[in-house]
Amino acid sequence: MDTAVALSGETTPRPSVALPAFEGPLDLLLHLVRENRVSIWDIPIASICDQFHATLRRMEELDLEIAGEYLVVAAWLLAIKSRMLLPRRGDGEEDPRQELVERLAEYEKVKAAAAVLAGLDEMRRGVLPVTLEGPASDGDQVPLEEIDLVSLAGAMRRVIERYRREHPPPMELPPLRFTVREKMQALFELVRGEQAFPLLSHILTRPDRLEAVTWLLAGLELVRLGVVELHQQVLFAEIFVTATGRPLPAEEVADA
Amino acid sequence: MPDSQALAALCEAILAIAGEPVRVETLAEVAGEGVTAADIEGALEVVATRHRQAGSGIMLERVAGGFRLATRPEHESAIRAFLGARARGRLSQAALETLAIVAYRQPVTLPEVNFLRGVNSASVMRTLMEHKLVRVAGRKQVVGTPLLYRTTGEFLVHFGIADLSELPDPEGAEETVTGGGGAG
Repeated sequence: MDTAVALSGETTPRPSVALPAFEGPLDLLLHLVRENRVSIWDIPIASICDQFHATLRRMEELDLEIAGEYLVVAAWLLAIKSRMLLPRRGDGEEDPRQELVERLAEYEKVKAAAAVLAGLDEMRRGVLPVTLEGPASDGDQVPLEEIDLVSLAGAMRRVIERYRREHPPPMELPPLRFTVREKMQALFELVRGEQAFPLLSHILTRPDRLEAVTWLLAGLELVRLGVVELHQQVLFAEIFVTATGRPLPAEEVADA
Repeated sequence: MPDSQALAALCEAILAIAGEPVRVETLAEVAGEGVTAADIEGALEVVATRHRQAGSGIMLERVAGGFRLATRPEHESAIRAFLGARARGRLSQAALETLAIVAYRQPVTLPEVNFLRGVNSASVMRTLMEHKLVRVAGRKQVVGTPLLYRTTGEFLVHFGIADLSELPDPEGAEETVTGGGGAG
Protein backbone atom coordinates (compact mmCIF):
# COMPACT_ATOMS: atom_id res chain seq x y z
CA MET A 1 0.00 0.00 0.00
CA ASP A 2 2.86 2.35 0.82
CA THR A 3 4.40 1.78 -2.54
CA ALA A 4 1.12 2.54 -4.23
CA VAL A 5 0.86 5.87 -2.50
CA ALA A 6 4.44 6.72 -3.22
CA LEU A 7 4.10 5.76 -6.85
CA SER A 8 0.92 7.71 -7.48
CA GLY A 9 2.37 10.70 -5.64
CA GLU A 10 5.33 10.70 -8.01
CA THR A 11 3.29 11.03 -11.14
CA THR A 12 3.14 14.79 -11.49
CA PRO A 13 6.57 16.16 -10.61
CA ARG A 14 8.80 13.76 -12.48
CA PRO A 15 7.88 13.49 -16.15
CA SER A 16 11.43 12.64 -17.23
CA VAL A 17 11.57 9.41 -15.27
CA ALA A 18 12.49 6.54 -17.52
CA LEU A 19 9.89 3.81 -17.51
CA PRO A 20 11.10 0.31 -18.15
CA ALA A 21 9.81 -1.03 -21.43
CA PHE A 22 7.01 -3.49 -20.96
CA GLU A 23 6.04 -6.24 -23.33
CA GLY A 24 2.39 -5.72 -22.48
CA PRO A 25 -0.02 -5.42 -19.57
CA LEU A 26 0.90 -8.84 -18.17
CA ASP A 27 4.54 -7.87 -18.22
CA LEU A 28 3.73 -4.66 -16.38
CA LEU A 29 1.66 -6.56 -13.82
CA LEU A 30 4.45 -9.05 -13.25
CA HIS A 31 6.85 -6.14 -12.86
CA LEU A 32 4.63 -4.56 -10.19
CA VAL A 33 4.23 -7.88 -8.38
CA ARG A 34 7.99 -8.27 -8.23
CA GLU A 35 8.62 -4.66 -7.28
CA ASN A 36 6.23 -5.07 -4.35
CA ARG A 37 7.86 -8.36 -3.46
CA VAL A 38 4.56 -10.19 -3.22
CA SER A 39 3.57 -13.62 -4.47
CA ILE A 40 1.48 -13.86 -7.60
CA TRP A 41 -0.63 -16.39 -5.67
CA ASP A 42 -1.66 -13.74 -3.18
CA ILE A 43 -1.72 -10.43 -4.96
CA PRO A 44 -2.76 -7.36 -2.93
CA ILE A 45 -5.14 -6.48 -5.75
CA ALA A 46 -6.15 -2.98 -4.61
CA SER A 47 -2.56 -1.82 -4.34
CA ILE A 48 -1.43 -3.45 -7.58
CA CYS A 49 -4.51 -2.08 -9.37
CA ASP A 50 -3.71 1.44 -8.20
CA GLN A 51 -0.08 1.13 -9.24
CA PHE A 52 -1.13 -0.23 -12.61
CA HIS A 53 -3.34 2.78 -13.22
CA ALA A 54 -0.66 5.12 -11.92
CA THR A 55 1.83 3.66 -14.39
CA LEU A 56 -0.63 4.10 -17.25
CA ARG A 57 -1.09 7.73 -16.26
CA ARG A 58 2.66 8.19 -16.28
CA MET A 59 2.94 6.58 -19.68
CA GLU A 60 0.33 9.05 -20.84
CA GLU A 61 2.34 11.94 -19.44
CA LEU A 62 5.41 10.66 -21.23
CA ASP A 63 3.34 10.69 -24.43
CA LEU A 64 3.74 6.96 -24.77
CA GLU A 65 1.12 5.32 -26.87
CA ILE A 66 -0.88 3.02 -24.65
CA ALA A 67 -2.03 -0.07 -26.44
CA GLY A 68 -5.63 -1.16 -26.03
CA GLU A 69 -4.49 -4.30 -24.24
CA TYR A 70 -3.37 -2.19 -21.26
CA LEU A 71 -6.79 -0.57 -20.98
CA VAL A 72 -8.51 -3.97 -21.07
CA VAL A 73 -6.38 -5.24 -18.21
CA ALA A 74 -6.80 -1.95 -16.33
CA ALA A 75 -10.57 -2.37 -16.48
CA TRP A 76 -10.27 -6.02 -15.53
CA LEU A 77 -8.17 -5.10 -12.48
CA LEU A 78 -10.80 -2.57 -11.41
CA ALA A 79 -13.50 -5.23 -11.72
CA ILE A 80 -11.50 -7.66 -9.61
CA LYS A 81 -10.79 -4.93 -7.07
CA SER A 82 -14.46 -4.13 -6.66
CA ARG A 83 -15.40 -7.81 -6.40
CA MET A 84 -12.77 -8.21 -3.69
CA LEU A 85 -14.64 -5.60 -1.65
CA LEU A 86 -17.79 -7.69 -1.70
CA PRO A 87 -18.24 -10.24 1.06
CA ARG A 88 -17.74 -13.85 -0.06
CA ARG A 89 -20.88 -15.91 -0.20
CA GLY A 90 -19.33 -19.24 0.76
CA ASP A 91 -16.52 -21.75 0.37
CA GLY A 92 -17.52 -22.78 -3.15
CA GLU A 93 -16.97 -19.34 -4.62
CA GLU A 94 -13.77 -18.87 -6.51
CA ASP A 95 -11.30 -16.13 -5.64
CA PRO A 96 -11.94 -13.13 -7.99
CA ARG A 97 -8.21 -13.07 -8.64
CA GLN A 98 -8.14 -16.69 -9.82
CA GLU A 99 -8.06 -16.08 -13.57
CA LEU A 100 -5.59 -13.23 -13.23
CA VAL A 101 -3.28 -15.38 -11.17
CA GLU A 102 -3.45 -18.20 -13.67
CA ARG A 103 -2.64 -15.91 -16.54
CA LEU A 104 0.22 -14.32 -14.66
CA ALA A 105 1.58 -17.74 -13.75
CA GLU A 106 1.39 -18.80 -17.38
CA TYR A 107 3.02 -15.59 -18.50
CA GLU A 108 5.75 -16.07 -15.95
CA LYS A 109 6.47 -19.45 -17.50
CA VAL A 110 6.64 -17.80 -20.91
CA LYS A 111 9.12 -15.27 -19.56
CA ALA A 112 11.18 -18.03 -18.02
CA ALA A 113 11.22 -19.91 -21.32
CA ALA A 114 12.09 -16.69 -23.14
CA ALA A 115 14.94 -16.16 -20.71
CA VAL A 116 16.23 -19.65 -21.49
CA LEU A 117 16.15 -18.91 -25.21
CA ALA A 118 17.72 -15.51 -24.62
CA GLY A 119 20.59 -17.21 -22.80
CA LEU A 120 21.10 -19.67 -25.64
CA ASP A 121 20.77 -16.88 -28.20
CA GLU A 122 23.38 -14.80 -26.41
CA MET A 123 25.73 -17.74 -25.91
CA ARG A 124 25.56 -18.68 -29.57
CA ARG A 125 25.93 -15.28 -31.16
CA GLY A 126 29.45 -16.16 -32.23
CA VAL A 127 28.54 -19.63 -33.47
CA LEU A 128 28.27 -19.39 -37.22
CA PRO A 129 28.32 -22.12 -39.82
CA VAL A 130 31.64 -22.93 -41.41
CA THR A 131 31.36 -23.33 -45.14
CA LEU A 132 34.02 -23.33 -47.81
CA GLU A 133 31.59 -21.62 -50.16
CA GLY A 134 31.19 -18.62 -47.94
CA PRO A 135 27.95 -16.68 -47.76
CA ALA A 136 27.23 -17.05 -51.46
CA SER A 137 24.77 -14.72 -53.09
CA ASP A 138 22.08 -16.54 -55.00
CA GLY A 139 21.67 -15.97 -58.71
CA ASP A 140 25.06 -15.21 -60.22
CA GLN A 141 26.61 -18.62 -59.78
CA VAL A 142 28.71 -20.25 -62.49
CA PRO A 143 27.97 -23.95 -63.01
CA LEU A 144 31.23 -24.92 -61.38
CA GLU A 145 30.90 -28.63 -61.97
CA GLU A 146 31.32 -28.09 -65.71
CA ILE A 147 34.78 -26.63 -65.33
CA ASP A 148 37.62 -29.13 -64.96
CA LEU A 149 41.33 -28.50 -64.75
CA VAL A 150 41.99 -29.47 -68.36
CA SER A 151 39.54 -26.96 -69.80
CA LEU A 152 40.83 -24.35 -67.38
CA ALA A 153 44.38 -24.95 -68.61
CA GLY A 154 43.14 -24.81 -72.22
CA ALA A 155 41.46 -21.48 -71.60
CA MET A 156 44.64 -20.14 -70.07
CA ARG A 157 46.69 -21.35 -73.05
CA ARG A 158 44.34 -19.58 -75.48
CA VAL A 159 44.62 -16.38 -73.50
CA ILE A 160 48.40 -16.55 -73.55
CA GLU A 161 48.51 -17.33 -77.28
CA ARG A 162 46.24 -14.44 -78.12
CA TYR A 163 48.32 -12.14 -75.97
CA ARG A 164 51.52 -13.24 -77.70
CA ARG A 165 49.96 -12.77 -81.12
CA GLU A 166 48.84 -9.29 -80.29
CA HIS A 167 52.00 -8.42 -78.41
CA PRO A 168 54.96 -9.86 -80.40
CA PRO A 169 58.27 -9.61 -78.62
CA PRO A 170 60.38 -6.67 -79.86
CA MET A 171 63.10 -7.61 -82.38
CA GLU A 172 66.58 -7.44 -80.93
CA LEU A 173 69.01 -5.35 -82.94
CA PRO A 174 72.60 -5.75 -81.81
CA PRO A 175 74.74 -2.68 -82.32
CA LEU A 176 76.75 -2.73 -85.53
CA ARG A 177 80.28 -3.52 -84.46
CA PHE A 178 81.68 -3.77 -88.00
CA THR A 179 80.79 -1.74 -91.04
CA VAL A 180 81.31 -2.62 -94.67
CA ARG A 181 82.65 0.90 -95.27
CA GLU A 182 85.38 0.44 -92.68
CA LYS A 183 86.42 -2.94 -94.12
CA MET A 184 86.36 -1.61 -97.70
CA GLN A 185 88.83 1.03 -96.62
CA ALA A 186 90.99 -1.50 -94.78
CA LEU A 187 90.98 -4.03 -97.66
CA PHE A 188 91.80 -1.29 -100.15
CA GLU A 189 94.81 -0.31 -98.01
CA LEU A 190 95.94 -3.95 -97.77
CA VAL A 191 96.08 -4.51 -101.55
CA ARG A 192 97.53 -1.12 -102.43
CA GLY A 193 101.10 -2.39 -102.26
CA GLU A 194 100.48 -4.47 -105.43
CA GLN A 195 100.67 -7.75 -103.58
CA ALA A 196 97.81 -10.24 -103.52
CA PHE A 197 95.88 -10.46 -100.32
CA PRO A 198 94.54 -13.90 -99.27
CA LEU A 199 90.97 -12.85 -98.51
CA LEU A 200 89.49 -16.34 -97.90
CA SER A 201 92.00 -17.35 -95.24
CA HIS A 202 91.66 -13.88 -93.73
CA ILE A 203 87.88 -14.33 -93.57
CA LEU A 204 88.09 -17.88 -92.24
CA THR A 205 90.42 -16.82 -89.45
CA ARG A 206 88.17 -14.01 -88.19
CA PRO A 207 87.01 -14.92 -84.68
CA ASP A 208 83.73 -13.08 -85.22
CA ARG A 209 81.25 -14.30 -87.79
CA LEU A 210 79.86 -10.84 -88.34
CA GLU A 211 83.32 -9.49 -88.99
CA ALA A 212 83.98 -12.29 -91.50
CA VAL A 213 80.77 -11.47 -93.35
CA THR A 214 81.69 -7.80 -93.36
CA TRP A 215 85.09 -8.56 -94.92
CA LEU A 216 83.41 -10.62 -97.64
CA LEU A 217 80.87 -7.91 -98.35
CA ALA A 218 83.65 -5.33 -98.44
CA GLY A 219 85.55 -7.47 -100.96
CA LEU A 220 82.47 -7.88 -103.19
CA GLU A 221 81.74 -4.18 -102.93
CA LEU A 222 85.26 -3.25 -104.03
CA VAL A 223 84.92 -5.64 -106.98
CA ARG A 224 81.65 -3.97 -107.95
CA LEU A 225 83.39 -0.61 -107.88
CA GLY A 226 86.19 -2.03 -110.06
CA VAL A 227 88.79 -1.13 -107.46
CA VAL A 228 89.98 -4.71 -106.90
CA GLU A 229 89.88 -8.11 -108.60
CA LEU A 230 89.33 -11.50 -107.01
CA HIS A 231 91.21 -14.57 -108.16
CA GLN A 232 90.55 -18.19 -107.32
CA GLN A 233 92.36 -21.11 -109.04
CA VAL A 234 89.91 -23.87 -108.20
CA LEU A 235 86.76 -24.25 -106.22
CA PHE A 236 87.28 -23.71 -102.48
CA ALA A 237 90.88 -22.61 -103.03
CA GLU A 238 92.29 -19.37 -101.68
CA ILE A 239 90.74 -16.17 -102.97
CA PHE A 240 93.33 -13.53 -103.69
CA VAL A 241 92.56 -9.86 -103.89
CA THR A 242 94.62 -7.60 -106.10
CA ALA A 243 94.29 -3.91 -106.80
CA THR A 244 93.22 -2.81 -110.25
CA GLY A 245 94.91 0.51 -109.85
CA ARG A 246 91.66 2.45 -109.83
CA PRO A 247 91.19 4.86 -106.95
CA LEU A 248 88.56 4.24 -104.33
CA PRO A 249 85.68 6.66 -105.02
CA ALA A 250 85.03 8.39 -101.72
CA GLU A 251 81.29 8.94 -102.27
CA GLU A 252 80.74 5.24 -103.09
CA VAL A 253 82.43 4.22 -99.86
CA ALA A 254 80.27 6.65 -97.97
CA ASP A 255 77.15 4.96 -99.39
CA ALA A 256 78.22 1.46 -98.48
CA MET B 1 36.18 -51.76 -40.74
CA PRO B 2 37.26 -48.55 -42.46
CA ASP B 3 40.14 -46.48 -41.18
CA SER B 4 38.55 -44.05 -38.72
CA GLN B 5 41.28 -41.42 -39.28
CA ALA B 6 40.63 -41.35 -43.01
CA LEU B 7 36.90 -41.48 -42.40
CA ALA B 8 37.24 -38.50 -40.04
CA ALA B 9 38.99 -36.50 -42.74
CA LEU B 10 36.27 -37.46 -45.22
CA CYS B 11 33.48 -36.40 -42.86
CA GLU B 12 35.23 -33.13 -42.14
CA ALA B 13 35.53 -32.37 -45.84
CA ILE B 14 31.83 -33.07 -46.40
CA LEU B 15 30.82 -30.92 -43.43
CA ALA B 16 33.06 -28.11 -44.62
CA ILE B 17 31.27 -27.80 -47.93
CA ALA B 18 27.82 -28.55 -46.50
CA GLY B 19 27.61 -25.46 -44.31
CA GLU B 20 24.52 -26.92 -42.68
CA PRO B 21 23.89 -29.91 -40.46
CA VAL B 22 24.41 -33.25 -42.22
CA ARG B 23 22.83 -36.40 -40.89
CA VAL B 24 25.00 -39.34 -39.88
CA GLU B 25 23.10 -41.57 -42.32
CA THR B 26 23.90 -39.19 -45.17
CA LEU B 27 27.58 -39.19 -44.29
CA ALA B 28 27.58 -42.99 -44.16
CA GLU B 29 25.92 -43.10 -47.56
CA VAL B 30 28.46 -40.88 -49.29
CA ALA B 31 31.44 -42.41 -47.48
CA GLY B 32 31.12 -45.57 -49.54
CA GLU B 33 30.03 -49.14 -49.19
CA GLY B 34 30.43 -50.92 -45.90
CA VAL B 35 30.54 -47.72 -43.85
CA THR B 36 27.97 -47.84 -41.07
CA ALA B 37 26.42 -45.06 -39.02
CA ALA B 38 28.47 -46.32 -36.09
CA ASP B 39 31.66 -45.89 -38.13
CA ILE B 40 30.63 -42.30 -38.87
CA GLU B 41 29.84 -41.62 -35.22
CA GLY B 42 33.33 -42.81 -34.35
CA ALA B 43 34.91 -40.74 -37.10
CA LEU B 44 33.01 -37.64 -35.98
CA GLU B 45 34.32 -38.22 -32.49
CA VAL B 46 37.82 -38.14 -33.99
CA VAL B 47 37.00 -34.86 -35.80
CA ALA B 48 35.68 -33.28 -32.61
CA THR B 49 38.69 -34.45 -30.60
CA ARG B 50 41.12 -33.14 -33.23
CA HIS B 51 39.53 -29.71 -33.15
CA ARG B 52 39.46 -29.69 -29.39
CA GLN B 53 43.05 -30.80 -29.00
CA ALA B 54 44.32 -28.42 -31.68
CA GLY B 55 42.62 -25.51 -29.91
CA SER B 56 40.83 -24.81 -33.18
CA GLY B 57 38.53 -21.85 -33.72
CA ILE B 58 36.17 -24.29 -35.37
CA MET B 59 34.15 -26.92 -33.59
CA LEU B 60 31.98 -29.84 -34.53
CA GLU B 61 28.48 -29.52 -33.13
CA ARG B 62 25.40 -31.69 -33.10
CA VAL B 63 22.40 -29.61 -34.11
CA ALA B 64 19.04 -30.19 -35.75
CA GLY B 65 19.48 -33.92 -36.04
CA GLY B 66 22.85 -33.70 -37.75
CA PHE B 67 26.40 -32.49 -37.44
CA ARG B 68 28.00 -29.33 -38.72
CA LEU B 69 31.17 -27.31 -38.42
CA ALA B 70 30.75 -23.95 -36.73
CA THR B 71 32.86 -21.20 -35.23
CA ARG B 72 33.50 -21.35 -31.53
CA PRO B 73 31.32 -18.97 -29.46
CA GLU B 74 34.25 -17.26 -27.74
CA HIS B 75 35.27 -15.45 -30.91
CA GLU B 76 31.94 -13.67 -31.07
CA SER B 77 33.21 -10.10 -30.71
CA ALA B 78 35.93 -10.54 -33.35
CA ILE B 79 33.52 -12.23 -35.73
CA ARG B 80 31.01 -9.47 -35.17
CA ALA B 81 33.68 -6.82 -35.78
CA PHE B 82 34.66 -8.61 -38.98
CA LEU B 83 31.14 -9.10 -40.29
CA GLY B 84 29.97 -5.63 -39.32
CA ALA B 85 26.40 -5.10 -40.44
CA ARG B 86 26.15 -8.71 -41.62
CA ALA B 87 26.46 -10.02 -38.06
CA ARG B 88 23.21 -11.18 -36.55
CA GLY B 89 21.54 -9.06 -33.94
CA ARG B 90 19.85 -10.09 -30.75
CA LEU B 91 16.26 -11.25 -30.75
CA SER B 92 13.91 -8.75 -29.15
CA GLN B 93 12.13 -9.60 -25.93
CA ALA B 94 8.85 -9.80 -27.85
CA ALA B 95 10.43 -12.18 -30.35
CA LEU B 96 11.92 -14.30 -27.58
CA GLU B 97 8.59 -14.56 -25.75
CA THR B 98 6.68 -15.45 -28.88
CA LEU B 99 9.32 -17.92 -29.95
CA ALA B 100 9.34 -19.46 -26.47
CA ILE B 101 5.58 -20.02 -26.61
CA VAL B 102 5.85 -21.66 -30.02
CA ALA B 103 8.87 -23.74 -28.98
CA TYR B 104 7.47 -25.05 -25.71
CA ARG B 105 3.81 -25.39 -26.69
CA GLN B 106 3.88 -26.27 -30.35
CA PRO B 107 1.80 -26.55 -32.32
CA VAL B 108 0.22 -23.30 -31.20
CA THR B 109 -2.10 -20.72 -32.75
CA LEU B 110 -1.65 -16.96 -32.84
CA PRO B 111 -4.70 -16.30 -30.57
CA GLU B 112 -3.13 -18.62 -28.01
CA VAL B 113 0.13 -16.69 -28.22
CA ASN B 114 -1.73 -13.39 -27.95
CA PHE B 115 -3.59 -14.63 -24.87
CA LEU B 116 -0.46 -15.90 -23.15
CA ARG B 117 1.51 -12.73 -23.80
CA GLY B 118 -1.43 -10.40 -23.26
CA VAL B 119 -0.54 -8.51 -26.44
CA ASN B 120 -1.12 -8.95 -30.14
CA SER B 121 1.87 -10.83 -31.51
CA ALA B 122 0.97 -11.03 -35.19
CA SER B 123 3.83 -8.85 -36.42
CA VAL B 124 6.34 -10.56 -34.16
CA MET B 125 5.20 -13.94 -35.50
CA ARG B 126 5.65 -12.62 -39.02
CA THR B 127 9.20 -11.55 -38.22
CA LEU B 128 9.97 -14.97 -36.76
CA MET B 129 8.62 -16.55 -39.94
CA GLU B 130 10.86 -14.26 -42.02
CA HIS B 131 13.84 -15.36 -39.93
CA LYS B 132 12.75 -18.96 -40.66
CA LEU B 133 12.65 -19.74 -36.96
CA VAL B 134 8.92 -20.51 -37.09
CA ARG B 135 6.77 -22.15 -39.74
CA VAL B 136 3.11 -22.78 -40.37
CA ALA B 137 2.11 -26.38 -39.70
CA GLY B 138 -1.52 -26.73 -40.72
CA ARG B 139 -4.65 -25.37 -39.14
CA LYS B 140 -6.30 -26.04 -35.83
CA GLN B 141 -9.72 -27.66 -36.25
CA VAL B 142 -11.61 -25.12 -34.15
CA VAL B 143 -13.81 -22.18 -35.05
CA GLY B 144 -11.99 -19.99 -37.57
CA THR B 145 -9.41 -22.76 -38.19
CA PRO B 146 -6.45 -20.62 -37.10
CA LEU B 147 -2.99 -21.43 -38.40
CA LEU B 148 -0.80 -23.63 -36.25
CA TYR B 149 2.83 -22.65 -35.75
CA ARG B 150 5.86 -24.80 -35.11
CA THR B 151 9.55 -24.16 -34.81
CA THR B 152 11.83 -25.00 -37.75
CA GLY B 153 15.09 -26.84 -38.21
CA GLU B 154 16.71 -23.43 -38.41
CA PHE B 155 15.43 -22.79 -34.89
CA LEU B 156 17.32 -25.86 -33.65
CA VAL B 157 20.46 -24.73 -35.45
CA HIS B 158 20.14 -21.19 -34.12
CA PHE B 159 19.89 -22.35 -30.53
CA GLY B 160 22.29 -25.24 -30.93
CA ILE B 161 20.01 -28.11 -30.03
CA ALA B 162 19.80 -31.50 -31.68
CA ASP B 163 16.04 -31.89 -31.30
CA LEU B 164 13.13 -30.38 -29.37
CA SER B 165 13.59 -32.80 -26.47
CA GLU B 166 16.87 -31.01 -25.77
CA LEU B 167 15.10 -27.72 -25.06
CA PRO B 168 16.19 -26.72 -21.56
CA ASP B 169 13.56 -27.00 -18.85
CA PRO B 170 12.37 -23.46 -18.14
CA GLU B 171 10.92 -24.55 -14.78
CA GLY B 172 14.42 -24.49 -13.33
CA ALA B 173 15.03 -21.04 -14.71
CA GLU B 174 11.66 -19.89 -13.43
CA GLU B 175 12.96 -19.67 -9.88
CA THR B 176 15.49 -17.03 -10.82
CA VAL B 177 12.91 -15.13 -12.86
CA THR B 178 10.36 -15.15 -10.05
CA GLY B 179 13.03 -13.83 -7.73
CA GLY B 180 11.63 -12.64 -4.43
CA GLY B 181 8.16 -13.92 -5.25
CA GLY B 182 7.90 -15.75 -1.95
CA ALA B 183 8.56 -12.66 0.13
CA GLY B 184 4.95 -11.48 0.05
